Amino acid sequence: MKKVIKEISWVSGTEVTYTVSEEFNKLKGKIDAPGKLAKANESLRKLKTPLPDTKTK
Amino acid sequence: MKYEVYENIAVQDDFNRFDFISIGKKGLVRKRVSFSKTEMDKVYNLAFGDVDEKDELDDLSVSDNGDRNKVLATVVNIVVSYTNRYPGRWIFFQGSSESRTRLYRMAIGLNLEELSIKFNIYGLIDNELIPFSKNLNASMFLIVGKKV
Repeated sequence: MKKVIKEISWVSGTEVTYTVSEEFNKLKGKIDAPGKLAKANESLRKLKTPLPDTKTK
Repeated sequence: MKYEVYENIAVQDDFNRFDFISIGKKGLVRKRVSFSKTEMDKVYNLAFGDVDEKDELDDLSVSDNGDRNKVLATVVNIVVSYTNRYPGRWIFFQGSSESRTRLYRMAIGLNLEELSIKFNIYGLIDNELIPFSKNLNASMFLIVGKKV
């Protein structure tokens, strides 16, 4: 049976359905857009300031 | 916020990969949002784009399907769901082109008041993190969910 998660969208106020994909689960660990991740890492390495100590949940 | 979103989304059970179908003037276009761990602790890179025929995310494609706002709103909604699932994680993102970066900057600026209820939003300028404001000419962005 498919696992389904239903949430009320903060953006639309409507119900959004997330259906867990077994195909996706087989892809765990695979990097989508590795070039973009490399660019992100490059930018983050150059960051002069640490991440702010925000009060997250 | 009151933007229309796509409501049926396929997801990996750890919420690191999402697919949805854009429906527009050119037909059906599969879209993917993916989060990957970066080298920096707690920071995850957001990749977004069309899914090509090899089932790979193509962040350079321009589908021009006439539903840009709905697609962007869906991506924002996915980010909200992701940060609800992983409250301490920061999301890093940047456009894959200057025009796309400009679009992201404009979309954040237009909705800054409402987005700021949910997120702390920063832009990167000269390798410094600056709290996002409408006139900030940032090309990269970092956001984190706020405590509610």
